[in-house]
Amino acid sequence: MRATTISDLARPSLAKGVRLQTDSTTGKNVLLYPEGIVELNETAHEILSRCDGRTLGEIVGELAKEYEADSRALAVDVRDTLSDLQRRKLIEFK
Amino acid sequence: MTMPRPYALLAEITYRCPLHCPYCSNPVGASLRRPQSGGYSNGELTTEEWKRVIREAAALGVLQIGFSGGEPLARRDLGELIRAAREAKLYTNLITSGIGLDDDRVRALRDAGLDSIQLSFQSDESSLADEIAGARAHERKLDVAAKIRAAGLPLSLNFVIHRRNIDRLSQMIELAEALGAERVELANVQFYGWAFRNRAALLPTREQVDRARDIATAAKARLAGKIDIFYVLPDYYEIRPKPCLNGWGQRYLTVNPVGDVLPCPTASSAIPDLRFENIRARNLDWIWQESESFNRFRGTEWMPEPCRSCPQREIDFGGCRCQAALLTGNAANTDPVCEFSPNRVTVDAQLDEINSSNGQVHDWTYRVNPTHVPVPA
Repeated sequence: MRATTISDLARPSLAKGVRLQTDSTTGKNVLLYPEGIVELNETAHEILSRCDGRTLGEIVGELAKEYEADSRALAVDVRDTLSDLQRRKLIEFK
Repeated sequence: MTMPRPYALLAEITYRCPLHCPYCSNPVGASLRRPQSGGYSNGELTTEEWKRVIREAAALGVLQIGFSGGEPLARRDLGELIRAAREAKLYTNLITSGIGLDDDRVRALRDAGLDSIQLSFQSDESSLADEIAGARAHERKLDVAAKIRAAGLPLSLNFVIHRRNIDRLSQMIELAEALGAERVELANVQFYGWAFRNRAALLPTREQVDRARDIATAAKARLAGKIDIFYVLPDYYEIRPKPCLNGWGQRYLTVNPVGDVLPCPTASSAIPDLRFENIRARNLDWIWQESESFNRFRGTEWMPEPCRSCPQREIDFGGCRCQAALLTGNAANTDPVCEFSPNRVTVDAQLDEINSSNGQVHDWTYRVNPTHVPVPA
């Protein structure tokens, strides 16, 4: 899905077979999937840890508040990150 | 050089298998020792020994375990091993032919904590698929795929691609769509074990390879977000070697059915002068860090020219040690797939032969299952 076409009401969740976990060796957060590991940066982790039924709009709102960031710019980043993960079949929208 | 930590363990829990695929990467001369005291059977590691391997792997930093073989379902303690892996917080993946997986067993494995199943297929329809497998397996696999879906487990389809099935790539992708798979791996055959013996029958032509690449690229774009397509290149047709294992002793380790710990699953047969440590004599931490087998090709110090001064040396790591050994007789040589290797002629000779033979079909030798041999005194 193109980033710009993701609705504010879309509810992102981890795709089937994907696990979010802390790598105890490095303390970093990782996504685990069949034969694959993605190390997450802080932004990606902040987004993914909220992919639990909340809407994209709610996630952007919370992050904007927490980081005192401009929510329009943040919405672009969140959409880009989720779109990339969705194309790789690591998250899905409900 | 700081010591790397492993990310993934390939647990080859048995070499027994109901299929006879001529491209199997298991060692051609695989043999099983006669039962030793405390042994599971045929010299295979016991349940408790595997649990120890799993705990030691997790402590070393491993995050993923692949249960493979042979056919891992041949071990009745598979569920117990999956449970142990989940307790150690490992991501658990079952790599299987599916033969022997009924509703009860698939639910038991799911309940033990299995994260994902990779189901092998030999082609998209039964006549060719069964001919390749050397067994009537295809229809059963279709049934197993449905059972996996019904249990709610994520499904990957694994196809090994070679000269006899490469022209059916589109249909294989269609099968993955029809079965509702999350992922499909289309892996051009790599020439180790039985596949090395059967190279003349398995190596595709250049025309086939070019067509397949286009089909895979188009399908990947078309199915993005629906099915994750992983296409493994046919490395003989490349001009630079694959970054095998992401470097020797950097990210991966394999434990074979009798407990030998290998930097790579094919190393035991491809590199005969390498001596491997066994989990019954040493712990995994020592083997990973200190053993000669894991250190021989670690880093870049071991590299000869043209690798030593090559700007690509930390990108492809000189390619594959097993391929160097099989094609040049010396595992420390540059992978002969590389255009800068003085041994590239050995690969080109193979390609010339296949591409000038006008699609002549060669017979292959089917994999035979391991035989029992006595333990040396």
